Amino acid sequence: MNTINSTFEMTPDKKRFSINDSIWALFVIAGAFYAWLSFGHIMDAYEDGILVGSAIGLIMLGRFWPSAKTLSYAVATLSLFALWTYAQHNNQISANEQAFFLKFLISSQSAFMWMSALFVLSTLGYFAGLFFKSDFTAKIASVLAWSGATFGLVGMMVRWRESYLINPEYGHIPVSSLYEVFILFAVLTTLMYLYYEQKIRTRSMGGFVMLIVSAAVGFLLWYTFDRGAHEIQPLVPALKSYWMKIHVPANFIGYGGFSIAAMVGLAYVLTEKIQTKNPQSRFLRAMPSLESMDDLMYKTIALGFAFFTIATVLGAMWAAEAWGGYWSWDPKETWALIVWLNYAAWLHIRMSKGWRGRPMALWAVIGLVVTVFAFLGVNMFLSGLHSYGEL
Amino acid sequence: MSHLPQPSASNKARNKTPVFLPFLGSMNLAVTLLVMLAIASVIGTVLKQNELFQGYIIKFGPFWTQVFNELGLFNVYGAAWFILVLVFLLISTSVCVSRNGPGFLKDMKQYSEKLSLHAYQRQPHVVTYTPQQFDIEAAQLLLKDQGYKTKVHHREDGITIAGLKGSWNRLGYVFTHVSIIIICVGALMDSNLLLKYRELTGDLEAETRSVPLDKIPQKSWLGPENFSFRGTVNIAENQKSDVLFLPYEQGFLVQKLPFTIDVKDFRIEYYDTGMPKSFESDIILSAPDLKTPIEKTIAVNHPLSYKNYAIYQSSFSDGGSLLKLKVHSLKAPENKPLILNTAVDKTESLKTPLGTFKLELSDFKMHNIVPASEEERAQTGKKMHNNGPTIIYKIRNDQGQALEYENYMMPIEQDGRLFFIAGMRSSQAEPFRYLFIPADSNRQLDRFFNFLALINNPIATKQVLEKALPSGQTLEQSGYRMQIRLLTQLMALVRQKGFNGINDFVKQNVPEPDQQKVLDYYTAQTSVALQTLYLDVLEQEKDQNLTDISDFNKQWFDDAITSLGNLPDYGPPLFIQLNSFKQIEATGLQITKSPGKDVVYFGSALLIIGVFFLFYVRQKRIWLAYSASDHTLTIAGKDTKELPEVAQEFQKVVQAVQSKLKVKK
Ligand code: HEM
Repeated sequence: MNTINSTFEMTPDKKRFSINDSIWALFVIAGAFYAWLSFGHIMDAYEDGILVGSAIGLIMLGRFWPSAKTLSYAVATLSLFALWTYAQHNNQISANEQAFFLKFLISSQSAFMWMSALFVLSTLGYFAGLFFKSDFTAKIASVLAWSGATFGLVGMMVRWRESYLINPEYGHIPVSSLYEVFILFAVLTTLMYLYYEQKIRTRSMGGFVMLIVSAAVGFLLWYTFDRGAHEIQPLVPALKSYWMKIHVPANFIGYGGFSIAAMVGLAYVLTEKIQTKNPQSRFLRAMPSLESMDDLMYKTIALGFAFFTIATVLGAMWAAEAWGGYWSWDPKETWALIVWLNYAAWLHIRMSKGWRGRPMALWAVIGLVVTVFAFLGVNMFLSGLHSYGEL
Repeated sequence: MSHLPQPSASNKARNKTPVFLPFLGSMNLAVTLLVMLAIASVIGTVLKQNELFQGYIIKFGPFWTQVFNELGLFNVYGAAWFILVLVFLLISTSVCVSRNGPGFLKDMKQYSEKLSLHAYQRQPHVVTYTPQQFDIEAAQLLLKDQGYKTKVHHREDGITIAGLKGSWNRLGYVFTHVSIIIICVGALMDSNLLLKYRELTGDLEAETRSVPLDKIPQKSWLGPENFSFRGTVNIAENQKSDVLFLPYEQGFLVQKLPFTIDVKDFRIEYYDTGMPKSFESDIILSAPDLKTPIEKTIAVNHPLSYKNYAIYQSSFSDGGSLLKLKVHSLKAPENKPLILNTAVDKTESLKTPLGTFKLELSDFKMHNIVPASEEERAQTGKKMHNNGPTIIYKIRNDQGQALEYENYMMPIEQDGRLFFIAGMRSSQAEPFRYLFIPADSNRQLDRFFNFLALINNPIATKQVLEKALPSGQTLEQSGYRMQIRLLTQLMALVRQKGFNGINDFVKQNVPEPDQQKVLDYYTAQTSVALQTLYLDVLEQEKDQNLTDISDFNKQWFDDAITSLGNLPDYGPPLFIQLNSFKQIEATGLQITKSPGKDVVYFGSALLIIGVFFLFYVRQKRIWLAYSASDHTLTIAGKDTKELPEVAQEFQKVVQAVQSKLKVKK
């Protein structure tokens, strides 16, 4: 069944499996097999399952969104190059200070710095494109965002490897600390936005969405330089589980969707305000129609809600295994429920009352405030079992 | 825009049933309940739940504590009103599903192929044109190609082909909403509603005292037949247990288990950073119906499942480590500490001239890992430092007041010197205040307690002072005697009241204008006396060349004086030193019987599938209605949800039809 995609597909007729797709599938299978050959001996059955699932997911993603293929090729090439460079230096972590490419480009720390710079530049670029009505500038911004996401993903891949190089006991997928998930957030949100950018064929909302990515980058830089949070730490026993590999990314697709919706909501409110004040404004001509922004808000919240549902369920299953109960009213759990209930109410109001536009846009913005509290505030102000990554 | 079709069946039902059913099943109520739940949850996380009452009174005052308590705000998730909201959500969703569900399911199969041409004209998307010819087969094939299922109807005046796809969307509605009901039912199965009921009937009562098992009344026990539970038990190494403790109200209940758990070993492993790497217990589960007991190592994230029970590694604690203590009296004129063989969780009685004190040994910790100092980090590259074993204990006087202490077994380096560190506090809410006793050259406490005993001994003090200041050299006989008297009296003051004793004495006995002068003099003389005594202590140690005192010994003296100055604030005049120990650990197990779990998981799976059907499957309808009388073809379309892309997609279908069934020129 191909129905999951049907919302997005402009052409309802079935796609054929092209040569391009076959190459892609072969590439992913080969990659997964290589990963299994290299690391299969330290993977348990669940992790084998996750590997197979990820490969299938990636093949489908590539078919459904061609740009994901290009991105994957780039990330794979750069990451493998980084791993190869480390191997040339006897897999010593100190190579990140010696080897030129690692030091300045693709050791995880350098890659994250590039990512940060590119995301901020991209935000500026999008806004410049909007104010000067320059398509070319916006296009550049788009390229910058793509490059930033590439560097972010490469950084995560390399950091994954580096954690094992520092000490095999420390090794873990980099989605376990507040620092690491902030990178995940920035990358996923950007990619999700880029997907919609292609779909709705306008770059005018890029500045708004990248604003929140830039905010995440700002936090990340403060966290790195003020708190030294970028250092790779071993995992506490509660986090040593294959569940982390699926629970956390699912959560961040959810957060990404909600963030985009909120930023689009902001753009909506602004556009509407200008429309009533100055209907001739040039700004208005650059922005997409209110209706399409409203629709985008709905779609991103729906996507976010779907993945957030999955993440919460997975979280409950993990909790059952780690803490002995699928629901303990732990603050993090409870706030996940609050976020979820909030968006469930949003969706219902939209359905039943047919509310559209400004109130829903404002609600989406408030929704983000709630989400951010669930994401950050809980760790900062409330204590509980989810004690990873305190500030 | 309302998406709720109003099937006639439900209209009929409405006439018969009272008005509250539509209200119960309304989305307004649903949204209100969702928001209420959210707000209640916020309260539950912001207000610390299930704490001691005293704490709340300090925070909110007695009045608001009373009000909040009546509202159940200190146990939101167990409060009657919270359960009531949940129950209403359950009812509301059930009513909603039972009212809308059948209609939606019928809608899944409805092609609406029998509508009149007129009705098709009124659909959201319509195009009418005159094709060259109308080929039913071709038209049907075309719709099938686009993923539609079709149904053909021959009207009197023509033919209608109805296409339908994505009807699973409707199933999505049923799935999501039924799943909410299922999840709520599962959660209720695992809740303690049954216990609440038994408590109301007077069959059950929580135990609030801390007493041995055999003293717990039958009313606080639960048998293995109990439907669902989640509790914890601490089992020391080489001990076993077949009971579990369930937190309940302000106390606990004892749950009898149908099996026994033996704990062979508990281990903590550490990373080189000092962070714990794993918590593991080797356990043996034996039950009457098991031929061979189950042996397994459980760890965090790796529980043991047995029948419908699950056994988790959840915490650890001391399991009654054996301790050999040295009890030093801080007032004794001799350094003869009492040797005490005891264990964690025991209480010992200590008789002193100042009354009898209870020594309650509450905990022993093998490792105390703290961030390393900058220098150490530079030297060893380690980020963490292990300060070694500690004991934690309380000393309670005969009025029942207690002070809490934390003593380190080994000296800890501070500014390049080694100190024995001993913390004290009068309540759990305070941080420990620390006494720093300098370690002697053998890294022991002996010198300090020898020194203290000498100060505490009036006869020995006098002898030492007389010997050290031989008569008739520089001072006249009477002057000499006066000085000895002054020094011994100063020592007596220090002995009784510490250094402050001298201060107070001067304030009380010396006229105001001379006070400072006299105090300075007395302080200097005290110092002379203490130095004299110290030299004697060093002499007894026989390792010191007294003509040239080492820097270490000089520094030691200064540190010891600081420490002596702080002794009066150390509570009862006792110092407990940990001499040796044998660690016995206890593992904290959590054991659950959770029959609702699988129900909740099933509901969750249904929820996820349903959500995807709702969002990513769109129910679409297309009608191709051909009129035989005027040879026009009406193409009409309708989606359940009017999204912007619907119009485009409709256009695509129209174009496809038109290219196949050519427009008549
Ligand atoms: C915790 C409880 C509930 C949750 C999580 C929930 C969730 C959802 C979701 C996610 C949607 C999809 C919205 C969309 O397609 O944009 C939906 C739709 C809907 N919900 Fe609920 N719901 C709940 C309770 C209720 C209740 C109590 C009612 C009773 C009135 C209800 C009635 C509906 C209806 C009629 C729809 C529209 C279905 C359609 O036409 O596609 N829901 N619900």
